[in-house]
Amino acid sequence: MTYDWSVVWQHRSALADGVVITVLLTVLTMALAVPGGLAIMLLRQTRIGVVGTAFVEFFRNLPLILVIYWTFYVLPILVDVVLSPFATGLLALSLAVSAYNAETFRAGVNSIRKGQVDAALALGMSWTQLMRIVVLPQAIRRVLPVLASTWVSLFKDTSLVSVIAVGELAYTSMQIRAQTFRVLEMLTAMAVIYWCLGYPQAKLVDWIHRKYGVTE
Amino acid sequence: MNAPVQAGATGIGAGRSPVIVYEDVVKRFGAFTALGGVSARIDRGEVVCLIGPSGSGKSTLLRCTNALERIDGGRILFDGVKLPAAESAARKVRRRMGMVFQNFELFPHMTALGNIAVGPKTILGQSLDAAERRARALLDKVGLAEKADSYPSTLSGGQQQRVAIARALAMDPEVMLFDEPTSALDPETVGEVLNVMKHLAQEGMTMVVVTHEMTFARRVASRVIVFDHGRIVEQGPPTQIFENPVEERTRDFLGHLGWSG
Repeated sequence: MTYDWSVVWQHRSALADGVVITVLLTVLTMALAVPGGLAIMLLRQTRIGVVGTAFVEFFRNLPLILVIYWTFYVLPILVDVVLSPFATGLLALSLAVSAYNAETFRAGVNSIRKGQVDAALALGMSWTQLMRIVVLPQAIRRVLPVLASTWVSLFKDTSLVSVIAVGELAYTSMQIRAQTFRVLEMLTAMAVIYWCLGYPQAKLVDWIHRKYGVTE
Repeated sequence: MNAPVQAGATGIGAGRSPVIVYEDVVKRFGAFTALGGVSARIDRGEVVCLIGPSGSGKSTLLRCTNALERIDGGRILFDGVKLPAAESAARKVRRRMGMVFQNFELFPHMTALGNIAVGPKTILGQSLDAAERRARALLDKVGLAEKADSYPSTLSGGQQQRVAIARALAMDPEVMLFDEPTSALDPETVGEVLNVMKHLAQEGMTMVVVTHEMTFARRVASRVIVFDHGRIVEQGPPTQIFENPVEERTRDFLGHLGWSG
């Protein structure tokens, strides 16, 4: 069997575009899912908290790929809005990751001593003020390592939106594979690219764990 | 749960104005009655020490005073007005009382200066500049001027508690509530905190202090209230409580502490 690695080089520009879309999808998803998760976590502490709980339990217990398919095929029927595949993928990932982030933030908030809340209340702070000034800054710092891990998982999970033809790295690689029949070369190239991009992020997560991990 | 009004609850400090009045206050936690009908008054300028065994209700009464805990019976008057049930109204009353906790509860993500300035800035709406200027003055007052930029984790327990006192003072409270302020401290730093409190008392601050520091209670308190099982056993000037306690249970409690009068 002969290998033809030149196929990778020939399609370098398409692969580079795929990488850009993958990174963009990761960054945008997190940019939406961090405030989204915070909002859902805060929602769960109010009178209509059951709505937030339902949201979290819905998205946490469905396979991500199903959420992506559902957003692509069912949502347009329900709400009569047609989104581009990229926007659809972004929406599906953001909803799912928001649910995870909401749980992460909730764990962070629960880990703050009750005495901190007492101290803030005793000063005369309102619930909103004590959340914003006292609890959340501590909680977010505490869950930073978890958020970083979610980031790395998300970076890899963006490959799932290839099923709805978003031209990110996985989809692009598969397309080239289909056109050239160079299965081994393209899958290997894809693995190398994901790994080379993922490894520094994982190392960064380790560093964040060391720097911000709770030691008390 | 109608306990008789405690002797002396209304007779002491005649002619002075009461800041806090407790009328038959009841607080339950599930089946446990933490306060079984407590009546007492705190007058302006008084330093009242609450003493008694652990779990006797002293800390609970303090936490009910600024509505951190809601009472199940009776009422508490602050400056003549009943503590409101609504949280937003309770907040306004709370701002007029400073509270110091056993575990300091400084905000760990803020410097000493930030901890003191945060209340006036966010709650009283002072400018950052004004709040920080005042915070520096208060740090100086508690002897920690050089620690303005230090984070709580780098301070000793005694230093943290002094910052916590300054944080409470920054809100210009009418009353200071101390919840076992020295119980979590190393013995060698207890003195520096008690000193700050003594100075505060000398300046005429109204103080309610839950404490196990009998020497402090004896030297600084204008009145001592002895708790047991959620009720007031006895109250009076420290000379009475420590030298001539009327009640057997007061003698028992002081005896357990090794206090010889």
